Amino acid sequence: MADPVIELSGVWKIFGTAEQAALADAKAGATKAEVLAKHNCVVGIAEASISVMPGEIFVIMGLSGSGKSTLVRHVNRLIEPTSGDIRVLGQDVRALSPAALRALRAERIGMVFQHMALMPHRSVQDNVAYPLELRGSPKGTRWQVSAEKLSLVGLQGYGDRLPRQLSGGMQQRVGLARALAADPEILLMDEPFSALDPLIRRQLQDQFMELSHKLGKTTLFITHDLDEAIRVGSRIAIMKDGRIVQTGTPEEIVTRPADDYVRTFVQNISKLGLITARTVMEPLISFPHFDVANASYAPTTANLDALIGLCSGSTLPVIIQDGGVPVGIVTKDRLLTAIREGR
Amino acid sequence: MEANLIPRFTGPSAPYYTRAFAAIQSRSGFVLSFNPAAAILGPIWAGMRGMSFLFLLLCFLDLLALNQIVSGLGGNTNSAEAARISQLQDTIATRRAEATEAIAAGDTDTATRAAKLADNLQKAVDAAMAETASLTDGASTRVVQGVILLLVIRLATGFFANAIYERRYTAWRGDQTLPHGAPPLRGAVTLALASLIYGVTLYARIGMPPDWLTTFPADKTLFSDTAAWFDAGFEAAYASGQGFFDGLRNSIRILVEGLEIVLVGTPWPVIMLVICTLAWQLAGPRIAVFTAAALAYLAFYGFWELSMQTVALLGAASILCIVIGIPLGIWFARSKTAFAIAQPILDFMQTMPAFVYLIPVIAFFGTGKPPGIIATLIFGMPPVIRLTTLGLTGVAEDVKEAARAYGATEWQVLRGVELPLAKASILAGINQTILMCLSMVVIASLIGAQGLGSVVLTSLQYAAKGQGLLAGLAILLCAMVIDRIVQGSFRKRE
Repeated sequence: MADPVIELSGVWKIFGTAEQAALADAKAGATKAEVLAKHNCVVGIAEASISVMPGEIFVIMGLSGSGKSTLVRHVNRLIEPTSGDIRVLGQDVRALSPAALRALRAERIGMVFQHMALMPHRSVQDNVAYPLELRGSPKGTRWQVSAEKLSLVGLQGYGDRLPRQLSGGMQQRVGLARALAADPEILLMDEPFSALDPLIRRQLQDQFMELSHKLGKTTLFITHDLDEAIRVGSRIAIMKDGRIVQTGTPEEIVTRPADDYVRTFVQNISKLGLITARTVMEPLISFPHFDVANASYAPTTANLDALIGLCSGSTLPVIIQDGGVPVGIVTKDRLLTAIREGR
Repeated sequence: MEANLIPRFTGPSAPYYTRAFAAIQSRSGFVLSFNPAAAILGPIWAGMRGMSFLFLLLCFLDLLALNQIVSGLGGNTNSAEAARISQLQDTIATRRAEATEAIAAGDTDTATRAAKLADNLQKAVDAAMAETASLTDGASTRVVQGVILLLVIRLATGFFANAIYERRYTAWRGDQTLPHGAPPLRGAVTLALASLIYGVTLYARIGMPPDWLTTFPADKTLFSDTAAWFDAGFEAAYASGQGFFDGLRNSIRILVEGLEIVLVGTPWPVIMLVICTLAWQLAGPRIAVFTAAALAYLAFYGFWELSMQTVALLGAASILCIVIGIPLGIWFARSKTAFAIAQPILDFMQTMPAFVYLIPVIAFFGTGKPPGIIATLIFGMPPVIRLTTLGLTGVAEDVKEAARAYGATEWQVLRGVELPLAKASILAGINQTILMCLSMVVIASLIGAQGLGSVVLTSLQYAAKGQGLLAGLAILLCAMVIDRIVQGSFRKRE
């Protein structure tokens, strides 16, 4: 297995003057409120560890104040951790010199912000090419690259406008183009679609996923919206009060919530598209005299939606195969139970 | 729970106020009610009920009326007025003596001036005497006026008391630490204060008060000693930093004189053409026409050279303000501590009247143009500093963060993001600074900075109204031209 692209291990962030004393207490098990009362320090991140694999879209999901935006800023060291290890692309980020850190930020990490954070006084193309300009690229190259990236996000021909002449969704696409300008390996997306209205958000999610499949960038994606997390994420980490409560694939999170907090989140999520045949099938042994000839077949990765389609066309159960070999069976009864449980 | 709040607020006479407040709150607009306690007790009612400002106001109004009554009854107004008249007569005698002396010495100028002053004073004495006479005549009228005034004040107090007190009640409900009720201690303090105020004032009017009661017994030696101490202090400070003060003075002199050589030394048609073209390019044709008219005024009335001197002073002062002020503003935007320390100093620089700091300035830098510019800097620099800081702190945090996330250095963030986004605010600061410098450059003629201000200054000294007015108009036109051009160019750029 490849090395992780981003690896945070045991990261703590305490905001306040008495950082170290507060850290010692927090590590010893003091609660957030106790640390605040005793040291006047806020625990931003507590013992967070994540590792993001190459090409993965790793989503950090949490409500406001859960520390998700703080955590993502540790990756490019916009925020200094109080303790813990941070490795990005094999480099120890905390040990980098200022110049090396700037090089990492400019060339290997692209970032998209919730409120776009475009520079209002620069044209769209100058915004897109800003990371290149900081590294001293000539204007010709900059304009060429920004034209390329703008067409990638479907904004060709808008280069000479000012950001305020564009709609919110278009502005965020400019933000995405800017993040891609230096062709970085990593994308950090801090609630990129949260400030947009639902229709535009959906549209941008689709566009982003298509782009992401095409470019295969390792992405750390922050959101407060579980639906969005499930739509875009290959893995999800759920944060609460600066702690990571659970990390797993969307299916794991939805089907096996680690605690009540996660459970309250996932209870309103439709699981039909997430639960696969592998989790609901029963062993073949239970049905020794089954009429195999007329049954329908499905792979283990088929979700409940697909199984419903197969079952509704026939009175017979569905046989689940793994690489062409029958490994289990799903009856109508079993399917109904699974739908009820997984609602 | 709502109902028992009123007794808690009012303390004594709760049932009365409960009814009165209910009446007020039952209707919108003014509700007629009469509070006899307030009408009779006046300021004492207000004081007891914890309304100290109303207490002082009512005391003042009462004393106004009582003074009228007392003076009508034969207080010592007349004696005070008589003293003033005799003093004036003394001065007249001195002036007349001066006039005769000057005639004897053959100095007709001084003689006519002294004689004119004496005449003017004589007129004042005559008027004062007439007034005293009418005062004695109208004694009974004054008593009646006073009584009526007192009655009106008290009736008004009675009619408005409940409305005012009800407003106080509303405020108290939001902030229950406000004074409420009528505790005996507050009553006692109010009584003591009122008797002191009324007693001493009326005693000073009626009785034969000792001198120290009417004029504060100031110590004249204290004044002269402290002044001498300051003199010595300034001299010692100047001596210890002479190299620094002289160096500063000379570098500023080089700057002003350089500008003056350009502005005064270049033939006037060239300068006029340059200014008009500049106005046209920067601010458009309308302002160019206005500028040409203003320059024509300056030239035709012979103010050309003086106004160029003023512009040179202004230019030097503005350049220094901007060159020093913008970096300071940037520093204060970055360091909260530095800004916290600088804030009161900036306030002080702006609130301190010029008449106060002209003295230290001449103590260290003597008189002439450089000290004039230093005085101008003190007054003119705060706006550009403040607005630079304000503009920079107002730059959206996420845009700065984005720049950093793409690997910008702090210098790149400042130059590429912060300064461009704060530009409007900084330009407004520069405009304000230039105009404040102009007003101060004129005042700086008091310490020999020359220019248009010196014309107004001599006009003031010799009461030459026409000359002063023409020079004042010249200053106004300079200010308007500069303001129009600067503002116009900012607007054009946006």
